[in-house]
Amino acid sequence: MGDLWPLVVKEIKELIRDPKILLGVILMPLILFPLMGSAINISQKSVMQAMISASFAVYNEDEGPVVEALLDYLHRNNTVITIEAASIEEAVSIFLETNATTLLHIREGYSQNVSEGRKANMKVYANLKSLTVAETGSTDSVNRLLNVYNYYLALSKIEDLLSETGDTSDPTAVRSPISVSYASIIKGNVLEVAPSAIFGLIMSQSIMLPIMVMVMLMFAIQMAATSIAIEKEQKTLETLMTLPVGRMTILSGKLAGSIVISVAGAIAYMIGFSYYMTSALSFSPEMTSMNVGDVGLGLQPLGVLLLGVNIFFTLVSGLALAISLATFTDNVRSAQSLTGFLVIPVMIPAIILMFSDLHMLPPTVRWVLLAIPFTHSILASKAAFLGNYTVAVGSIAYIAVFTVVVLYIAARIFSTERIITARFTSLSLRDLFRGKKERRSQTWRSHRNR
Amino acid sequence: MLRILSTLLSPTSGSAEIFGTDVVKDPDKIREIISYLPEEAGAYQNLSGFEYLEFMAGFYSDSERQIDEMIDEGVKISGLDERLDERIKGYSKGMKRRLLLARALMMKPKLAILDEPTSGLDVLHAFHVRKMIKEYVDEQGVTVLLSSHNMLEVEYMCHRVALMDEGVIIAEGEPVEIMEKFGSDNLEQAFMEATRFG
Repeated sequence: MGDLWPLVVKEIKELIRDPKILLGVILMPLILFPLMGSAINISQKSVMQAMISASFAVYNEDEGPVVEALLDYLHRNNTVITIEAASIEEAVSIFLETNATTLLHIREGYSQNVSEGRKANMKVYANLKSLTVAETGSTDSVNRLLNVYNYYLALSKIEDLLSETGDTSDPTAVRSPISVSYASIIKGNVLEVAPSAIFGLIMSQSIMLPIMVMVMLMFAIQMAATSIAIEKEQKTLETLMTLPVGRMTILSGKLAGSIVISVAGAIAYMIGFSYYMTSALSFSPEMTSMNVGDVGLGLQPLGVLLLGVNIFFTLVSGLALAISLATFTDNVRSAQSLTGFLVIPVMIPAIILMFSDLHMLPPTVRWVLLAIPFTHSILASKAAFLGNYTVAVGSIAYIAVFTVVVLYIAARIFSTERIITARFTSLSLRDLFRGKKERRSQTWRSHRNR
Repeated sequence: MLRILSTLLSPTSGSAEIFGTDVVKDPDKIREIISYLPEEAGAYQNLSGFEYLEFMAGFYSDSERQIDEMIDEGVKISGLDERLDERIKGYSKGMKRRLLLARALMMKPKLAILDEPTSGLDVLHAFHVRKMIKEYVDEQGVTVLLSSHNMLEVEYMCHRVALMDEGVIIAEGEPVEIMEKFGSDNLEQAFMEATRFG
């Protein structure tokens, strides 16, 4: 511990004082995500406002008495432009000159069809001037009004028919004979809540957890690779390796320093991301109405412990992998490019498991995903969250075995001269694991034969 | 060769010992008694000069008093005074070299291995580095193994010299002995003579 602490402190100082890391890893998420959320929020609000305040035009070809009731209803509380024209073509050209975004065409025969119990057809035209989201939703306000009118018109017709036959049934029950209510069963508890309403829970276990694991891992990998590459680029590694301190202590110092910074980065990312989600979705209150606490769920102490163990192993394996890879590079840029390939096994499971569950996938995809260690990081996080502790322990065991293997490789690299001499041009895995004695004798043989 | 002595690389053949300890068999013991200054060594850009010395001193002792003494020595050797509070990224090449030399000598190693300590430095910094190495050897009794392509520097600084050509020692002894052997006025001429006949 005596030698480890100064190494960890040095690592943290070096990384945190690097403006690229401070800005990119910690400050950017705290600034960028809330800004993005606000931008989405502002645009969504303006879309909603545009949809609410959108005026619409009506071209009526029917002259019967029933249409008057519909026109009265439409004019009440709405900005309606009445178009007088000889044909629908003329009506459309007049409509295009107005500010209205929607034109409702009431065809001739509306009153007669409604009175005689036939379907009355109408048509809604949307004027898509600039192809924005607001325009595509511009027919919503007219649709909403027509649906309400349709419902009450149907009820009134049913009421008339029932009274004619002397039936005492409830008109609403006749119109919708079946009423469905929803409940959700989570961890064996029946909750009187529709599954679609448990948005917070779905968000946290399906989307936020994979994102959190993925982001943290990517930070950790980048940190560790940068840390080794900086040592090589700035020519400090050789000096470090000649100090009276164990190679494993140096490796542990690098791992610990990178873990601290990547956890700080992940926390900054999650704070920024939560602001993003809150502000981006705040225009739609029903989407944020329920969270984990509301449905009596949340991490139990054992779940927290398993989540912590899982994150620890995941981070250490990612870091050891990054350090092993970065050893074979000379500078920060090539280290980051090389470790960039690690994005693939980290991101693919995260993205797939964000939108799907493992058992829903085809068997081949499932087995490929299960072979990737970082899939288990997400599975273990989800399982710990939902209280499936057996699954969590199984996944943690898998990632732990992987971590031990990767740590062994990193330790091998650190304990030999490979840490100084390794280059991709001279990389041979066989060489890496071959004994020192054997390696030396082979070099000697080749030297003698020359 | 210097990297082998510093335990960074393993020899492909032969053996090397420092004060009777084999560098391959007992590298941990070697690292406790040596201090290595590579030719192209760098320092942690985001630490201050003082933090760098403090960081390095921590590996050589657990005693706060001894660490403070080492840092005091380091401050004295570097001669950088208040510039030690600044981040290393703002240092010139000469300042960095002085800091690294201070790191290498401040713990008074039994053997300091210095690879081209003045290479690429301006006259002022090179003079300071040579002066500090000489003083440290004379006053503290530290043994210095110095490699240099500057024969005049070697003649000025070294008590014992080995001239190497293509990895082979072609002459060895005190500078005066080597110069006498080749009938030269200085070590540079002696080297030219030695390689001509070697």
